[in-house]
Amino acid sequence: MKTKRLTKITSTIIIVAFLAVMVFPFFWILITSFKPSSEIFGKDTAFNIIANDPTLINYKAVLDKGILNSVKNSFIVAIVTTIYVVCVATLSAYILARVRFKGKGLVLGLILSVSMFPQMVVVGPIFNMFYKLNMLNSYFVTLAYSSITLPAAVWIMVAHFKRIPLSIEEAASIDGCSQWQTLWKVIFPIALPGVFTSAIMTFIAAWNEYLLTMTLNSDKQFQTVPVAINALRTQFSILWGEITAATVVVVIPTLIIVLLFQKQIVSGMTSGAVKE
Amino acid sequence: MRKTITAKQAAFLLPLFLLLAVFALYPIVSSAIYSLFDYRTNDQQVAGLYTSGNFNAPLFTEDCGYINWFLEDDITLLSEADQEELRAVMEQVDTLSAQYAELTDVTKISKAEATQITSDVEQIRTIIQAVYARNADVSFYNGWDKLNTIFTEMDSCLINSNFTGLAAYGKLLSDTRFFRSLRSTAIFTVISVSLELVFGMALALIMNQAIKGIGGIRTTALIPWAIPTAVSALMWSYMYDGSSGVVAKIFTDIGLIASPELMLLSASGAMTAAILADVWKTTPYMALLLLAGLQIIDKVLYESAKIDGAGPVKTFFRITLPLLKPSLLVALLFRTLDAFRVYDLIAVLTGGAQGTETLSIYAYKLMIAQNNYGYGAVVVLTMALCVGIIAFVFVKVLGAEIVKDD
Repeated sequence: MKTKRLTKITSTIIIVAFLAVMVFPFFWILITSFKPSSEIFGKDTAFNIIANDPTLINYKAVLDKGILNSVKNSFIVAIVTTIYVVCVATLSAYILARVRFKGKGLVLGLILSVSMFPQMVVVGPIFNMFYKLNMLNSYFVTLAYSSITLPAAVWIMVAHFKRIPLSIEEAASIDGCSQWQTLWKVIFPIALPGVFTSAIMTFIAAWNEYLLTMTLNSDKQFQTVPVAINALRTQFSILWGEITAATVVVVIPTLIIVLLFQKQIVSGMTSGAVKE
Repeated sequence: MRKTITAKQAAFLLPLFLLLAVFALYPIVSSAIYSLFDYRTNDQQVAGLYTSGNFNAPLFTEDCGYINWFLEDDITLLSEADQEELRAVMEQVDTLSAQYAELTDVTKISKAEATQITSDVEQIRTIIQAVYARNADVSFYNGWDKLNTIFTEMDSCLINSNFTGLAAYGKLLSDTRFFRSLRSTAIFTVISVSLELVFGMALALIMNQAIKGIGGIRTTALIPWAIPTAVSALMWSYMYDGSSGVVAKIFTDIGLIASPELMLLSASGAMTAAILADVWKTTPYMALLLLAGLQIIDKVLYESAKIDGAGPVKTFFRITLPLLKPSLLVALLFRTLDAFRVYDLIAVLTGGAQGTETLSIYAYKLMIAQNNYGYGAVVVLTMALCVGIIAFVFVKVLGAEIVKDD
C-alpha cells in the first residue's frame, strides 16, 4: 500500500510539472503582451509577472499592421486545402481500402515515401514552377500543400474505411447501387468520423505550414500567420510586445480547434501508428 | 475481394495521382536533374539546364552592329591604309552578323559552329586592336576600351553546356560545411528524439493509469503540438533572449549558463535551446502515440503478471515493452524523420547560426538565398538518401510495420 501511495504522489508531481512546463510559455507570452515596451526591455521590470502599467497598445499595433489580413489568408488557404484534400483522399482511400489489385503495395509505398521525403526536395522546383507559371504571390500555394497534407489524409481514411464491414457494401451492391453511389450514400456517412479526423489534421497542417508560404508568397498581402508573425522581427529591432500580442491572437483559433476536436486529433495522430 | 481494378475504380485514384505527380514526383525528378547541372539562376551563363551549347544570336547581331557603328566614327581620324584595313574588317563583321540575322532567339549550336564563331570574332578583334594600338596618339571618339567592352559581351553570347554529371556529388565529399551541418542534424535528432522518448514514455505510463482529469491533461498536451512551429520557435526565441528572456534568466540564476546572452549566442547554448524547444513541442505527440499503444495491451496480462509476483520493473520490461514495440517503433520512426528534416524551428530560432545549421537550413540557403539550385539539389537529395536509410533501418532491421496490406 505504501509503495502504491508513493507511486501516486510521484505520478502527480510529474504530471503537475509537465503541465506547468507546457503552459508556462503561453502564460508568459500572454502577460508580456500587456506590457509596454519600456517594461519589456527594462532591467527591473522585464521579469515582473504583472505589468506595472498594463496596456493594449501592442494589440492595437499588430491590428494596424494587418495581422487580421494574415489570419484571413491562413483561413482561406487552410480551408481550401482541407476541402480538396479531403475529397481527393476519400476517393482514393476508398479504392485502396476496398479493392485488391496488382501494384497496390507500390501505390501505398509511394504515398508513404512522399510523406517521409524531406519537404526541402520539392521547394526549389516548385518555386521555379510557380515562377514560370506566374503563380507566385497568390492563393495557388494551396495546391503545393498537397504534397504535405495528402499522404496523411489518405492514410487516416484508409484506416477508417477498413473498419467498415464489407457486408454493408455488398448489401448496397445487391440493392443496385453503383460504386459511386455506394461510396457517397452508404460508406461516406458511416466513415464520417474518419473524414472529419482527416479534415482536422489537414486543416492544422495547412494552418501551420511555413516553408512553402514563406518561399512562394513573399508579398505581405498573401502571407499567412506563421510568416507574418516572423516578419514582425525587423532587421533593426525586435518588437517583443507586438510579437507576443500577435501570438496571442493567432493561438486562439488553434486553442478553439483543440478544445473542440481533441478526440479526432488524437485519433488522427495515432491512426497508422497503432495497429489494432 | 476483387483481384483486378476496373477502369472506373482506377478513375477514383486519378486525382490523387495527378496531385502527387505534379507536386511531389515532378519536383523530386526535377531536383535529381538539377543536381546534374551547374545550375545557378543568378548567373546568366548557367541560368538554365543546357545539355548542348547555346548561342544568343540576337545579342550577337546587335553587338556586331555596335562594333561597326563605333568604327564608323573612329575611322575618319585614321590614315588611308588603316582606313582600308578597318573597312575590310567592317565588311567581315557585316557578313558574320548577316549569317545569324534571321535568328530571333537563343538557339542550340554545335561545337564546331561555336568554335568557328569564336575564332572569327577573335580574328576581327586582333585586327581592330592592332589598328588602335598603332594609332595610340590619336584621340578617338570611342576608342579601344569601348570596343573591348562589346567584344567581352560577345563572348557571353556563346553559352556552353553546364552539364556536370555527378561532379557535384564529388564536390560534396570535400564540403566541410555539408559535413558540419550533417553533424548538427544528427546531434539534434538523436538528443531530442531520445529525450522525447524518455519523457513521452513516462507520461504515457502515468496517463495509462486512468487518473482523473485525463481529458484536461490531453488538451493541454495537444496545444504545443497544434500551434505552428514557426510561432512556437518565435515564443522560445523571446524567452531565450539575452536581455529580456525569462528562460535565459532562470538558467543563469540556477547556474546552467554563465550569462543570459550565451543562451543563443554560444554554440552549446544555441543547440540546447533548439533541442529544448523541440522537446517541449513534440513530447506530447510522442506521449499520445505511446499512450494509444499502451491502451491496446490486454489488461489481463498485467493481472496475471501480478499474480505470478512480477514487480513493476519486470512487468514493464517483460510485458509492456515487447507489446508496445510496434507502436514504439512507428512513433520513433516518424519523430526521427521529422527531427532530421527540421527547418522551421532552427530557421526562426537561430537562422542556423552558432553551429545549429542543419541540412535543411544549408540546402535552403543554397537554393533560395544563393540561387544555386544545382548544388542545393545535391545537398537535398543526399538528405533524402539519409531519410531513406533511416526508414530502411527502422523497417527492415528493427521491424517497424508501417504498411499493413492484407
